[in-house]
Amino acid sequence: MYAAWTAKHKPRSLSEVVGNREAIQEIVRWVKSWDRGVPRQRAAFLYGPPGVGKTVCVESLANDLNMELVEKNASDYRTEEAVQRFAGLASQYGTLFGRKRLILFDELDGITGTEDRGGLRAITSIVKTAMCPVVLIANNAYDPRFSALRNYCLLIEFRKPPIVEVVKHLRRVCVREGIEAEENALRFIAQRSEGDVRSAVNDLQALGQGKKRLTYEDVSWLAFRDRKEAIFDVLRLIFYAKSCEAAKKAMDMTDVDPDMLFEWIYENAPHQLQDLHDLAKAMDALAVADLYRGRIKSTQDWKLTRYVVDFMTAGVAMAREKPTLGWVPFRFPERIRMLSRTKQERELRSQIGMKVRRRCHISSVRAVKEVLPYLRIIFESNTEMAASIAEWLDLDEAMVEYLAGGKARTIMKHLG
Amino acid sequence: MSVGLWTEKYRPSSLDEMVDQKDIVERLKSFVEARNIPHCIFAGPPGTGKTTAALCLAHDLYGEGYREHLMELNASDERGINVVRETVKTFARIRSIGEIPFKIMILDEADNMTSDAQQALRRTMERFTETCRFILIANYSGKIIEPIQSRCAPFRFTYLPKEDLVNRLRYIAEQEGARVWDEGIDAVLEVSEGDLRRVINTLQAAASMSKPIDSETVYSVIGRANPVDVREMIILAMKGDFLGARERLREMILKYGVAGSDIIRQIHIEIFRLEVPERWKIKLADAVGEIDFRLVQGADEEVQLSALLAKLVEAGYEMRRSV
Repeated sequence: MYAAWTAKHKPRSLSEVVGNREAIQEIVRWVKSWDRGVPRQRAAFLYGPPGVGKTVCVESLANDLNMELVEKNASDYRTEEAVQRFAGLASQYGTLFGRKRLILFDELDGITGTEDRGGLRAITSIVKTAMCPVVLIANNAYDPRFSALRNYCLLIEFRKPPIVEVVKHLRRVCVREGIEAEENALRFIAQRSEGDVRSAVNDLQALGQGKKRLTYEDVSWLAFRDRKEAIFDVLRLIFYAKSCEAAKKAMDMTDVDPDMLFEWIYENAPHQLQDLHDLAKAMDALAVADLYRGRIKSTQDWKLTRYVVDFMTAGVAMAREKPTLGWVPFRFPERIRMLSRTKQERELRSQIGMKVRRRCHISSVRAVKEVLPYLRIIFESNTEMAASIAEWLDLDEAMVEYLAGGKARTIMKHLG
Repeated sequence: MSVGLWTEKYRPSSLDEMVDQKDIVERLKSFVEARNIPHCIFAGPPGTGKTTAALCLAHDLYGEGYREHLMELNASDERGINVVRETVKTFARIRSIGEIPFKIMILDEADNMTSDAQQALRRTMERFTETCRFILIANYSGKIIEPIQSRCAPFRFTYLPKEDLVNRLRYIAEQEGARVWDEGIDAVLEVSEGDLRRVINTLQAAASMSKPIDSETVYSVIGRANPVDVREMIILAMKGDFLGARERLREMILKYGVAGSDIIRQIHIEIFRLEVPERWKIKLADAVGEIDFRLVQGADEEVQLSALLAKLVEAGYEMRRSV
């Protein structure tokens, strides 16, 4: 149930592998050439950055051509002796039952000089004499350790797939998991992964598992995951600054959006300032900073931004008179998470407000405030009345469910 | 069982059906007789019949097809200057076909219009007087700019008298076959603040529980319709639990969608009900007022209100120390 999506949704066939069409064609051509006798190069050396589909490509290839895949990777011992034991397999073209064999040495970068003594030499000698296709995989084929080996290999480079390809793959995964995802949410994940499909799928799982919808808001806070350390440094400087200057300078250390930094400070102030007078002062400084934000919004006078910065940094720093006892960890702004969690609810609410407005001659804002609470009571306690109102207001199923909770199904049945 | 919401079902459709606001209704009827109306401002508290009066007026003037001659805009939803420049103007400039040469534009919640939009409106009202008459509806006419006020006939709607509310309640309950005890009616009125819409909504929600309506049913409706316990939040803060209080605040704003202005209004009421020394109440009211003002200036509700909570924490501490 909770399998890693990278494994669960791994391509099973070459047609599903993301990007790298040329490299794939080249390796297929080379494997097929074995049918006409042993080719000049008995090994293919696939190289490229992590997560671009090298291993997946070989596995899919074996699957598509119905070959037996024999694999050694970094988790296996790869000493000279161990590899030589393995070599027997490589000395014959097919298996007993006629299935052709494909030998894979994965994660060659991980071969160590001490633990795997002589391993590379043994691999080289296998490659020289192999009677079946051998595939080598590493991130960097031009590592000096591979210089002898490289001469006997067909070098095939794997590149980062374009963003659109990654998005397509993520979309496929979402469809299979029954997630409805916003295009720009997937694009954001893809872009951030910089062509590493595996990490993109991992991120997708972390953000999307168990959800029905994935929005841009859901994923955008990923950005902070990477820069969390940087933010923590800035927060420390602000909360513990001794001078206004120092607190204000901390702002320049980060490229975090000031509104976002505000949220971090706002969330953490009550935890970092333990004295209640200090806290009241700090919260007031934040409120004043926020007031300037409001003024900027209504006047579009952006030069007022400097006062926002003054109060959210120096104002908070100067609020402290008593030291904080012990070490208090920083927390992620809960409000941001709540905002994105409740986004759907809020949207639904205002949609119902619009429906009420059409019928009741009041603004949708007031409808949400003044009518919706009563609707909720009626929908929870009287299916018949609820059904008639739902019909009259032209509510859809999601709206009925929002108002009625568990009773929604009976109400919908009433509506037919 | 009836269809839809009772507030709409029992909304009078003609001026003759309106039992309240007698003076106003009489004046409006004289407009109908003269087949002419000036620009109007209907001002007064919520649920006192302003929108109903405007709709009835249009109905009596144009007859059953009155919707074709009428546009209703709600300034809370569409309050920008562009709405005035585009939607309002387009509607206002085109002459009505029929016996009466002008159309009616109802601008509901007009006190929520930005002052830019109001300025733009002023010219439109003047230029297109021949083809369009405006009815501006507002809680406070003071929020409507002077030049517009001077172009309009003012109508001040007042709170409905208690016996009219009772009669209306009884009438609707009878029509709907809902049984209401006297104590139920008293309870509804107690919390209605003279707002007929709220009275009827409360009645319908209570009736939906399908039993004779007593005061207990009404109180449970009211409790469920206001899931927000502002008093509890204040007490938490004054006991020193800032984080707990902020959590409550977040729930109100994000989960239940309560407007910051409503929360602050309730805080203001609760402050004076607190069992604290009298001189503190006025100090706290000052702090509340400052936050209220900031919200008007466009500041963030949660941030401002939590600054207020931090002040309450401080105040609670000071009070305990001085005892």
